Amino acid sequence: MNKLSNRSVMKCARPMIALIALLSVSIVNAEKSTINGAEVFNNNCARCHNARALDEFSLSEWSVIMPHMRERAHLTGKETEAVMDFIRLVKNGDSKADTTQSSLDGQALYQKYSCQGCHSVNGNGGTVGPALDSVIADKGESFFLKKLKDPQFNNPSSPMPRMPLSDDEIKALAEFLSTN
Amino acid sequence: MSIKSFAAMTVAASLSPAVLADEGDRGRFALGGYGDVKYETTEAADSSAYSARFVPIFLFSLNEKMHVEAETEISINEEGETEVELEYADLHYFLTDTTTITAGKFLIPFGQFGPNIHPSWINRSPWTPGIYGSHGSNQAMEALLPILSDVGVAVQQTLVLGDHQKIFIDLYSTNGPSVEADDHAEEPVEGGHEEEEVGHAELPELAFEATSGDNNKDKAFGGRVAYAMLPGIEIGASYYNASYDDEERLDFNAQGIDINVIGSHYLLRGEYIETETDGFEEEEGETEIHTFKRDGWYLQSTLQTGKIWSSLAGTELVLEYAETNQLAEASRWMVGFNYWLDARSVIKVAYDDTDVEEGEDDQRFAVQLSYGF
Repeated sequence: MNKLSNRSVMKCARPMIALIALLSVSIVNAEKSTINGAEVFNNNCARCHNARALDEFSLSEWSVIMPHMRERAHLTGKETEAVMDFIRLVKNGDSKADTTQSSLDGQALYQKYSCQGCHSVNGNGGTVGPALDSVIADKGESFFLKKLKDPQFNNPSSPMPRMPLSDDEIKALAEFLSTN
Repeated sequence: MSIKSFAAMTVAASLSPAVLADEGDRGRFALGGYGDVKYETTEAADSSAYSARFVPIFLFSLNEKMHVEAETEISINEEGETEVELEYADLHYFLTDTTTITAGKFLIPFGQFGPNIHPSWINRSPWTPGIYGSHGSNQAMEALLPILSDVGVAVQQTLVLGDHQKIFIDLYSTNGPSVEADDHAEEPVEGGHEEEEVGHAELPELAFEATSGDNNKDKAFGGRVAYAMLPGIEIGASYYNASYDDEERLDFNAQGIDINVIGSHYLLRGEYIETETDGFEEEEGETEIHTFKRDGWYLQSTLQTGKIWSSLAGTELVLEYAETNQLAEASRWMVGFNYWLDARSVIKVAYDDTDVEEGEDDQRFAVQLSYGF
């Protein structure tokens, strides 16, 4: 008797679970209108594995890998596109970038390259990388310059990508971080 | 699948011009995967051996809606023969921004180890958690759910609740398990077996290997619902049910809960699984169905020492405990040290001690180099 009731409960549970799933499709997602690709990268890759270095694959390879990761990590389509935008920016830089002296705004560069996706300042930002509040005071500007030009020089397992930044832009970033 | 057939398929794929065609930064094909080399000693088998695997993953993006993927595991067995196993081969159709339909042979979304953690460059231990079986290696602990993938269809739904909160829903239907070919489930035996309940018949042995056939019309059905507070925590509950005999009178059920905590310098992963396996037994001349219940769990903690002390960059300490209860009781401690050569390559050194209630205990030592590519 107990056996029969267990079977009945289990068989009844199937359509109920399926119904919940169907209903859930109609629920409006509370997704942000603008999604930060670096933040999606920070929030999801390390759930299972070390974040892979962006230099490891070409842009066309990433465009095939990301649909695989979309399903594996339960990313939305918009989140997947945002990560691709971030990878595209890191690999290609910004073709429309202003190269004059006025472009050397450390805070603007910090936001443009989504540093906050993986690092935090004043408690705001990601956790994949270390907090940057006192990085210049603790390590010095020369370390910072070397780290951004060769992110794996002091830690071979670091997933930090090499950003398409000039020496002057790195110095502007260092100045922003040291005065923030 | 023979190695010749696999090689022919690979060559055919590599010669196809469409495979290599790129359009701007939008690609069509990518090759990823992982591999490992392991040296392992086991006291129970009184042996030590080197082993190696190569596990390529073939990814194809057909268009923005359709993605095809296949993972093959190529390894050498103890007789020196090359074995090729199809881990998964499926097509994802991105129905909406948040809904994905999958068809083919796919990783079963039960818990977190099977679908996400099992690749050796991701798993912090050189061994599979005891409750999931050994998957090609040897282990003294009797697995609760030795299944990673099966053939069928699945639907996945992601609900975004806010900036950092999501709910994941996975539902699937597959062929499910069948009776092991040399099983004696329908021939009740008398005492003396280590997987036998007092006064009851032997625990049936099921074949979980995925096939493109089924011994009955009943399909396995299962699902997982999880809540994620990104990037730090994911908690899930899983369910699996299938009739496994020809007459669809005997069921196998599994329920589980899982947790994954990601800290700034530590990881905590664990799963608890309960299973119920029906079996026939003779009771005063009549055949009755008896349900065998088992449960077990594991908890794996990783302290990322390299993130705490810069002089130890790339190092981790791993501690894992696992146990199975009710029939084939066993417990296992594992301690390990990992050194990451880069973000996707790791050397693991580990020792485990398995205590089997009614059977031979085991102690194992392993050094494994694992790499993702």
